[in-house]
Amino acid sequence: MKHAVALLVVLVVVATSGCASSPPVRSTARPFDDVRQLTIVVSGDSEFSVLENSAEPGRTFDQILPWTGYAGLLKPIADLVHQVINWFVESDRKADATADLRDVSPAWLVAQAFEETLRASGRFDDVRTLRREPVGDDRARSEILVRLTVPTWGLVRVREGDPDLLSAFADVRAEMVARQTGVALWKDNQDVTGPERLPLKAFTGDRAFARQQLFDVLDRAGQRLANELLYAQGAGR
Amino acid sequence: MRQRAAVLLALVAVALVGCAQSVTLDVSYPEAAVNRAMLAAARPRRVEIRPVADRRNDIARIGVEPAAAKPIVTSRPVVDIVRDALVSEVQRNGHAVTPNGADLVLTADVDEFWLDVVTGHSTAQYVGKVALAVAVIDVRTGETLATRRYVGIKRQQAKGDAKQASLEVMDVALSRAMHDLATDTELAEAFGRRVPGVRKI
Repeated sequence: MKHAVALLVVLVVVATSGCASSPPVRSTARPFDDVRQLTIVVSGDSEFSVLENSAEPGRTFDQILPWTGYAGLLKPIADLVHQVINWFVESDRKADATADLRDVSPAWLVAQAFEETLRASGRFDDVRTLRREPVGDDRARSEILVRLTVPTWGLVRVREGDPDLLSAFADVRAEMVARQTGVALWKDNQDVTGPERLPLKAFTGDRAFARQQLFDVLDRAGQRLANELLYAQGAGR
Repeated sequence: MRQRAAVLLALVAVALVGCAQSVTLDVSYPEAAVNRAMLAAARPRRVEIRPVADRRNDIARIGVEPAAAKPIVTSRPVVDIVRDALVSEVQRNGHAVTPNGADLVLTADVDEFWLDVVTGHSTAQYVGKVALAVAVIDVRTGETLATRRYVGIKRQQAKGDAKQASLEVMDVALSRAMHDLATDTELAEAFGRRVPGVRKI
């Protein structure tokens, strides 16, 4: 009987000390805490969508258009998408005449805002954006990569009513990778929504305004991603 | 005596039914998740955080549950939730929050703290939004050093009656607004700024 009690006491002591020895969660340095140089790589395709979240959520604009009764109403958005892309291309042409215009994308604009925000933070010595995976000298210079994609962007219904209200949105992903080892150092997905909520007519009736809304949400997406990276960097301090 | 007891019982019953007719969310900003960010780059300051002003259009609720049209409310006042979040950020970034002898005053208005539920066929989209206006004032000169706005928004698809999704989108919307505040270089500069004419001690 005494042996059994002694064994029980030992087991309790071991169990208790096991709990007490758990390391504290905070103050663990993260592998990207001291990263000062970043190469942002724009990757993946972006799909423009009008997310209704109605009977069949997630339908793309191309899927909606042929069979809804709103084709006439939504047609201007289709034109708008082309206008936005053309505008991206035109902006880029002015900035860099030698650029490959086929590579201009929403992700590129998100990357620009991401880069600008990281630079302004003063935490990085060298931040640059590439349109594709680095090769040659670029590759040698790129120890830490952030691959950035915008799988979907467009307009989303955010409030029910008469009329319903929509906002511009961009769903963005970023992954920081150490190039030589392929180890992922940081990952983040952000569903970014424009703060303004407007009836569909506000977008279809004023293309310049709609273009500005879409541009602003991509800019906001880049800033949000950068802010989350900067915030995560502080976790180990 | 019996009549008084009956009235009391009726009041309690009405109160209980009233509670059941709203959805209560315990929205919070957990202190354990707060990191040091750009605000930590400013020299340590003593900061008075004033009571948060409620500028919302509808201060009685933060949304409406669509199925039964029940009001959605928070378990604590919205202004207290926001003030606690501000205190956590400021302290974690190395500044002292004090009611007396402060170098800086931080004021905040809550412009929006709202949950929208857009119902779909089999799921609903939950959209939480938190909009704040923040000002930093130098106590000695009365000068407003910075006025900033932060908007945190979170979208999430979930089942139509998912209370957990409602809570998550509001928690994340608040944390996004706070992360934007903590990583704001202009706010950090305002925290660390020396006002001309004020002698260094």
